[in-house]
Amino acid sequence: MAKPLHELSIAEAGRALRAGTVTSVALTQHALSRIAAIDPLIHAFVLVTKERALADAERADRELKSGIDKGPLHGVPYALKDIYNTAGIRTTCHSKLLLDHVPSEDSVVEARFRAGGAVLLGKLATHEFALGGPSFDLPFPPARNPWNLDHFTGGSSSGSGAAVAAGLTRMAMGSDTGGSIRGPAFYCGVVGLKPTYGRVSRRGVFPLSYTLDHCGPLTWTVEDTALTMQVIAGYDAQDPASADLPVDDFSKGLGQDLNGLKLAYPRSFFAKQEGMTDETLASLDAAAQQMGKLGATVSEITIPAYELFNACGRVILTAEAYAIHEEELLTRPTDYAAYTYMRMILGATLSASDLTQAFRLRRELTTLINGEVLKAHDAIITANGLSPAPRFEEFAPNMPTKMTLQTMPFNVTGNPVLALPTGFAKNGLPLGMQIVGRAFDEATVLRVGAAYEAATGAMGKRPELEAAIAA
Amino acid sequence: MSTSDALEQELDMLLAKAGATVPPHLKPGVLAGYREMKGMAAMLHGSRPATHEPSNIFSLKPFLRSA
Repeated sequence: MAKPLHELSIAEAGRALRAGTVTSVALTQHALSRIAAIDPLIHAFVLVTKERALADAERADRELKSGIDKGPLHGVPYALKDIYNTAGIRTTCHSKLLLDHVPSEDSVVEARFRAGGAVLLGKLATHEFALGGPSFDLPFPPARNPWNLDHFTGGSSSGSGAAVAAGLTRMAMGSDTGGSIRGPAFYCGVVGLKPTYGRVSRRGVFPLSYTLDHCGPLTWTVEDTALTMQVIAGYDAQDPASADLPVDDFSKGLGQDLNGLKLAYPRSFFAKQEGMTDETLASLDAAAQQMGKLGATVSEITIPAYELFNACGRVILTAEAYAIHEEELLTRPTDYAAYTYMRMILGATLSASDLTQAFRLRRELTTLINGEVLKAHDAIITANGLSPAPRFEEFAPNMPTKMTLQTMPFNVTGNPVLALPTGFAKNGLPLGMQIVGRAFDEATVLRVGAAYEAATGAMGKRPELEAAIAA
Repeated sequence: MSTSDALEQELDMLLAKAGATVPPHLKPGVLAGYREMKGMAAMLHGSRPATHEPSNIFSLKPFLRSA
């Protein structure tokens, strides 16, 4: 039986488009119908750009028919976290402060998608300014986890994770400052990549922390992440953090086994962390063993405590976010959602010495990970979340529930990280891991992830949302 | 004065210095966050030997005259 259109990966859709067995308009209309039916349940979208999507799709079909091929995303629908500027299309950062903001220029990522002939479905829910959430005191409701609507998606790329998991889009762009791609990838059971710092231009994406912000995709498969990276990666002279390096062939390692690769497994980094569940730990141990069966040599190592990486990253993030929002926090405090304000205003309490020490420690931790651990190993397999997605009701009104995620360390060090599902908890919610690579070696990270994905087929099923609609 | 009162006074002073007036209903959350952030900042101020930054002298200790 043929797959439903939304279950075609980017790679499969691309082959079908070029073979003429499907059109971009058909893919787009199918996506728009699914969004209309399912999004009222999960609130992944804050804006659906129907007319733009159909115009993009019609253009893509004409171009492909006439032999113009703009690359792997030509004719493929996608969606953007609503912090990515889109020319002429509202970009709100999910905030009352930017409800009427219509940028005149595309972000660089959006410009590259346009040039690549991709089809914009719309803008996705996010935590306010990529920080405060899940919040019910914002212009739009928070996104809900498609695996269980009472559960959190993770954030801040909340709509991105939910939309991909629900099959509303094959690919959604997110951003990651402390885990905002990888957290939603974990909780929603999808693939998410935080590329190396500087790999993807951040120009035209609303900043949270200049030192820690990364832009990257969420997809259903590892191959689709590689194909997306091929379109969006590359130097941008106007982004001060952009790396002037050639764009790699991100797919070059896909399909290879892991023979010859040395993987580090820092079990003590997460095994006894508060919040770690037995089944999450078991899934990580099983993943490490699977890597061994695929040909890798897996060695247990020790790295500095998570709390040190987290403190370093949180101080930098809070100081920089406060600097960006200082004027509005002081003059319009109640225009922010409660969680956003409570987190950002803490930047006013940090000293110059706090920030200086954080930057010094950042350099030491980065040197250790890159100069020692990833000199002796090709990648690190480690925990992402310590437990499945929490329920919304677990979030205290006074301060957000402490997230049990171990994502911040690799924002601090800037390494590329693939978040990959490993299976399901007993309660039906996804579990996953992180695969951390050397700087600018996304290809190895994707190779490891693809090999694991092919061997285990971990996410063989989709959330059963059709039943929820019928109910 | 309890530790909690002292912490709140400290927070109030820092926010006043910044010119921030916290909406009253958000104060408990900000105070809880400050407690956590203060702990994290303190973690960063641990002493480091000179070998951690061999290219720069960052500690006065080798240069201080003994009391």
